[in-house]
Amino acid sequence: MTYLKLILGAATAIALTACVSEPLPTPEALVETVTEPEMIVDVHKGDFAEIQQFVTPGGVSVWLVSEPSIPILSLEMAWRGGETSDPEGLEGLSDLVVYNMNEGAGDLDSLAFQTRMEELNMSFGCSTGNDWTSCSSSMLTENATDAMDLIATAFAAPRFDDGPFERFQRENLIGIKQRETSPNWLARTAMANARYPDHPYARQTSVESISALTPALAREQMRKLMVKDRLLVTAVGAVTPEDLALMIDKAVEGLPDASEIEAVADISLPAAPADPILVDLPQPQSLVSFSAPGLKRNDPDFFTAYVLNYTVGGGGFESRLMKTLRVEKGLTYGIYTGLSNSDHLDSWSGGGQTKNESAGEFLTGIHDELNQFVADGVTPEELDNAKAYLTGSYALGFDSNAKIADQMMGVRQEELGIGYFDTRNAKISAVTLDDVNRVAKDYLSPDKFTFVIVGEPEGIE
Amino acid sequence: MKRIITGGLLAVALLCPGAMADDAAWAPETFTLDNGMEVVVVPDHRAPVVTHMVWYKVGAVDEDEGKSGLAHLFEHVMFKETENLGPEEFTTIVQRNGGQLNAFTSWDYTAYFERVAKPQLGKMMELEAERMVNLKINDDPEGPFISERDVVKEERRQRIENNPGAILQEQVLSMLWKGHPYEITVIGEMDEVAALTPEDGMAFYEKYYSPENAILVVAGDVGADEVRMLAEETYGKIAPTGTVDGTRKWAPVPLLTENALIVHADPKVRQPSWSRYYSGLSQSRQRRESYALDVGLSVLGGGMTSRLYQALVEDEQVAIDVNTYAWTTLHDEGPAIISASPVDGVSLDDLDTAVMAEVRKVLAEGFTDAEVERARNSLAAEAIYGRDSQSSMANLFGSTLALGGTVDDILNYPDEIRSITTDEALAAVRNVFGEDRHYIEAELVPAEGGV
Repeated sequence: MTYLKLILGAATAIALTACVSEPLPTPEALVETVTEPEMIVDVHKGDFAEIQQFVTPGGVSVWLVSEPSIPILSLEMAWRGGETSDPEGLEGLSDLVVYNMNEGAGDLDSLAFQTRMEELNMSFGCSTGNDWTSCSSSMLTENATDAMDLIATAFAAPRFDDGPFERFQRENLIGIKQRETSPNWLARTAMANARYPDHPYARQTSVESISALTPALAREQMRKLMVKDRLLVTAVGAVTPEDLALMIDKAVEGLPDASEIEAVADISLPAAPADPILVDLPQPQSLVSFSAPGLKRNDPDFFTAYVLNYTVGGGGFESRLMKTLRVEKGLTYGIYTGLSNSDHLDSWSGGGQTKNESAGEFLTGIHDELNQFVADGVTPEELDNAKAYLTGSYALGFDSNAKIADQMMGVRQEELGIGYFDTRNAKISAVTLDDVNRVAKDYLSPDKFTFVIVGEPEGIE
Repeated sequence: MKRIITGGLLAVALLCPGAMADDAAWAPETFTLDNGMEVVVVPDHRAPVVTHMVWYKVGAVDEDEGKSGLAHLFEHVMFKETENLGPEEFTTIVQRNGGQLNAFTSWDYTAYFERVAKPQLGKMMELEAERMVNLKINDDPEGPFISERDVVKEERRQRIENNPGAILQEQVLSMLWKGHPYEITVIGEMDEVAALTPEDGMAFYEKYYSPENAILVVAGDVGADEVRMLAEETYGKIAPTGTVDGTRKWAPVPLLTENALIVHADPKVRQPSWSRYYSGLSQSRQRRESYALDVGLSVLGGGMTSRLYQALVEDEQVAIDVNTYAWTTLHDEGPAIISASPVDGVSLDDLDTAVMAEVRKVLAEGFTDAEVERARNSLAAEAIYGRDSQSSMANLFGSTLALGGTVDDILNYPDEIRSITTDEALAAVRNVFGEDRHYIEAELVPAEGGV
């Protein structure tokens, strides 16, 4: 259910404690009194959240859930474009940008900026991945105006001082040494090198790339990553749309309007190697990771695969991999599978750990279970259980401000539409046994999976 | 994925108090059932969901000699089978009802939880009440109890033995708590876990799992009247067993009497690190002093603005990181820790000298009122942010009460923290890191040769 609510933006004072959470019952009457509406708020009354969607007078697109019961505000900001835009040889540049976002701005050096955040009892920090650059902040509503002013300074006048820059380099050079014995990093890297060695997703920082970075390069990269026209905002808290719009416009005033981000190619995956890729690491357990091609978020079979994954390895103790390899055989503390989506790669992946002595049995067990799905699919009871959990537990993802802000950002990034929360369960309920078993045959054959084993595994042929 | 969050080593100290004394809207209600089971209801009406927890006042501290790991292994066994539920059916029913579930074990308590949409709350109570009184343990020598032991051994490898830092910490804590029931980590010694039997499990169950030894916590979209009605229909029907008298093996942890050095060299270590573990405090034994210590350690080494970070990471650039913190949320005293990691070219001995020189300097000069005020306001604000998470709130009330604390301890926390003076914060830190105190120095270093 969607209807419009018109608001006089300019006339609204910042009064965060008085929060309007109820939409006006008769919007038509209000329209007549408005001569120059500055902001249109589209109220989407959904099953899990009442989302107020608007574009600020400054042009920023915002989804807000007003939640007056706790005096805090959770704010998420995201821009498409991230580490894949680092120039060749400058891997780590986008990470340097986000590292610096709370390390000094305007008159405040790093220590003064951090001290100011403590005085305001706020958090503000940014991060970057392959496809996206994000900032998030939590603040007490009584400090929201000051907190947003500080964020405005960070966006408009970041300092990129030598001190934090050199610290970033020191930390990263140590991180490059440490990752060489991290089982998860070794597994991820081996997997990337096997599946898409030449794609930007496989690029890593190096001693050379970190050493080649400069504050001036970071300043330039920031103006490429953080721009007004690609900015998505979601917020949950004790605030009205009109108050939030004013604060956001002020916060992002110093950002450039737009920038060019180079297009990145999609990945077409090669056939998986017949044998597992072994990475030696002296530790008592072997980490077994496996990845196959997945499904795009808008693939007609996506929900079918999502429901199937619950029975494969996404449903905790209700999944077959856990039932067989943990509960029956005692081979592992945990094994899981999941679907993942990014702009240029969709995967169906899983992993678990077992003692080195049982690595061969564990690997065989995973193969056997996957083969079983291909051969016989799932039972009607398994399908019912999966659908019952996936639909019944959905509300649990909406019980905190931070979770709701995150969920909305996910929907915005994946472009699923404002009604997604309300239609999602129906899509899960509509999945049929025939569909699930067809998708199992198409996707779960073990020969589609690249296996990587990190440790000192025994019994691997 | 993970059935427990213990391993004991790291997780326990992280529960931080939360709540706000000046806000009656979410005020929790408490009452006791006729059979002695305590109940806490924490209203949160933002979403139609509830977090349902049962906390048992039993943990690794209660294990007999040679039976380390029993409390935790037993927690796994609670998911297996009851008179009215088939093997693994408990989980199937909860998840079929759209519920998320898990459990965790500490030295001081064991807790089980389900998060569900509100209409399922009564069903969850039926299930938890069923396994409070009707658990069955299969004694087949090749059966589920035995395979669960193997699972726990894998869990121990995953949490501790794969991880050089955790291996070192286990050794250090074992020395710090020598002779105290905390000496052995929650997950237990590998050989003792391997020798646990179904009979051990059943004896443990019969002794410790009873309504009078349990606390029910329900947080979420529900009121006390409704919880009382549902609880009386389920838990209320279980007779008390009279097998525990409320005493635990808790005891004050003696101060360290000499300095010690523990070095763990491991081929997986690429970046050395250094720590000193001192005898610390616990909120249960010295609540106000513990709060003062938290405030003081925040000023000394609690983040980027702290004295140690500014001196050693920013100015002298001898450390890549430095921290001070204390485990104050166990019932008995945990460690107060100073830790640091060197930049390239600085030895751990030089790092030790530089860090301790700075600690002595700060403690001699004292703290400013402004930095103490920032620290205590940050801690008080965390209590407000903590209210955003229903499960955090349920955990906070459950763990506080399981240790013998009160609802008022939680409600008064922000005011109490804000009332800590500069002198109190300084005195607490000076006391714990005093020149007359002993410590265990822990060094994590690369093994000769490396990978």
